[in-house]
Amino acid sequence: MRVLAVAALALALAGPAAAAACAHPRTSLGYLEGQVMCPTCHTTLDQSDSDAARQIEAFIRTRIAQCATAKQIEDELVANFGAGILAAPPKKGFDLLAWWLPIAGVLAGALLLAAGVWRWSRRHPDEPEPAASGLDPDEERRVDDALAHWE
Amino acid sequence: MSGRLKLTGQVLALACVAGLLALLVWRLTHQEHAPKVGSEAPSFTLRRLEGSGSVSLASLRGKTVVLNFWASWCDPCKAEAKTLERAWEAYRARGVVFVGVDFHDVTGDARRFVAVHGLTFAMVQDGSGDVTGRYGISQVPETYVVGPDGRIVAHMAGPVTGAPFAAEFRSALAKAAA
Repeated sequence: MRVLAVAALALALAGPAAAAACAHPRTSLGYLEGQVMCPTCHTTLDQSDSDAARQIEAFIRTRIAQCATAKQIEDELVANFGAGILAAPPKKGFDLLAWWLPIAGVLAGALLLAAGVWRWSRRHPDEPEPAASGLDPDEERRVDDALAHWE
Repeated sequence: MSGRLKLTGQVLALACVAGLLALLVWRLTHQEHAPKVGSEAPSFTLRRLEGSGSVSLASLRGKTVVLNFWASWCDPCKAEAKTLERAWEAYRARGVVFVGVDFHDVTGDARRFVAVHGLTFAMVQDGSGDVTGRYGISQVPETYVVGPDGRIVAHMAGPVTGAPFAAEFRSALAKAAA
């Protein structure tokens, strides 16, 4: 009887342990839910409660339990649904533009701003020296006299 | 700011605005709409759900084609599956072809759906939803009946078992098979 109990306990412990054993760190449903789109509602899975989203979540859950990596699961979903199933475009080919264009835009904006600031801060050599005040020397002398009178 | 730099900035800003406007116009003019009854059915070539090979609508020219868009996660699709299979069995001898277009679906689940409901007509898969988009499908199930000339005879947006469509479905099939 005791032997049977020990065997049952060993089996109960060995089952989940075997299921949990993966050659690599297991990916999570939470992570993939943010990476994968719901094809019918065009939001990520974590923001969708549609039937299609729930079906894909079930598929991901099953594949995670089978020790599939995030990359493998994403590849399988792309093969099934096309590249549009991923929230972020692939980093290759034409899709690279989606990654580089925003960076290029920000850089171009920064360059334009820097050029503008540089121009503003740099006085042109043949520009006349601006007067210290808007008054001509005669008026300035009269203002000084008037001020001296009040002091 | 020098005149040239200012002009360059203005040209760039105008180019950005023009580009965004062009994008908006392109998006508005290229929105998918459901093809109207009497218009040409959008062509497609889609891979079979089971086995290898593909099915193209062009290869079915000369036959009446019932195109049923479905997905395994769609409950009304389950409800109409038996009706479709019965209709296929009744009309296949009269040269009517049924094609099930499974869209936005996990292949394994779609195959299980076909097996569970005992569907025997041709099944193709539109995983990306491109073809489905050209037919203006917003929610499944939807069914088109395409005449032998490739023009749309009927369109039912909902299960063919539903009260609004059951009679229309039978009438379209009878008309097409006549």
